[in-house]
Amino acid sequence: MNVRALVIDDSRAMRRIVSSILEGLGYEVQQAGHGREGLDVLETGWVPELVCVDWNMPVMDGLQFVSAVRTNPAWRSMTIMMVTSESEHTQIVRALAAGAHEYVIKPFTADAIRDKLALLGLLPQEVAL
Amino acid sequence: MSTIDTGERRRGSDARPVITELIDEGTVQSIAEDAWTALVGEDEVLVPLPGELPADVISSWVDVVGPWTGSVVLTTGRQTAADLTRALLGDASPEILDHEDVADAFGEIANVVGGNVKAALPGPSGLSLPDVGDAPTVRNPADQCRVDVLWRGEPLSISVQGALPALSQH
Repeated sequence: MNVRALVIDDSRAMRRIVSSILEGLGYEVQQAGHGREGLDVLETGWVPELVCVDWNMPVMDGLQFVSAVRTNPAWRSMTIMMVTSESEHTQIVRALAAGAHEYVIKPFTADAIRDKLALLGLLPQEVAL
Repeated sequence: MSTIDTGERRRGSDARPVITELIDEGTVQSIAEDAWTALVGEDEVLVPLPGELPADVISSWVDVVGPWTGSVVLTTGRQTAADLTRALLGDASPEILDHEDVADAFGEIANVVGGNVKAALPGPSGLSLPDVGDAPTVRNPADQCRVDVLWRGEPLSISVQGALPALSQH
């Protein structure tokens, strides 16, 4: 069984970095350039186990995306991890209150992402069991 | 009881901090080093030595709006910015880089450095999307914290600079 992840970031370079880490862990990854594009992917019926989403993006930011996802019961099972340079405590609280499960502050290492996924029970070999 | 309005309170509230009262060069350098290690590569170091920027430079920056308002600006030669882009994109780097590739990667570095600079400043503050081009003008030299480094021997500057001119002294 493939474990799927959607990476949403307006920076192509950052999407590549996050996707590369997740693919290295065994994820099947799709990418989107902002929140609206991310919703478009979900609306095709491709619902991943994990979404990694940036905060500051054009068109639809990460917080708006999280809020939109949480209004749809069909997407309730998705784990959402904010991956962002927004590191103020109040911002983290807002993201978690909106429905994000985890928060990773840029810059991050591959180990930091792996550790967060392990805490969430979302390393692909664990999910597949 | 009557109170004499000396104007002191109004003058006091007009005062705004300059960046050197809020963050020092060591903190900016440390933030940039962490960004480089995570984004550019584990073995990539920033050497804290000034170098002369070439004539053909490019800047990337984000704006911080809050109790302190200004920009976090990275400036380097165009070739160095292209080398940085290739380092970030790794195997996904195209054979020929276009301006959008450089703007995306160099802008993301400014976003990460700027976000962490913002976190070290009094908040709450907002952070803009990154921009790339000619650096915003330094409006008040006293409201600037600048770090000059070398990356792979090439000069690069990181400037945390206020957006507002100096308050006039009367």
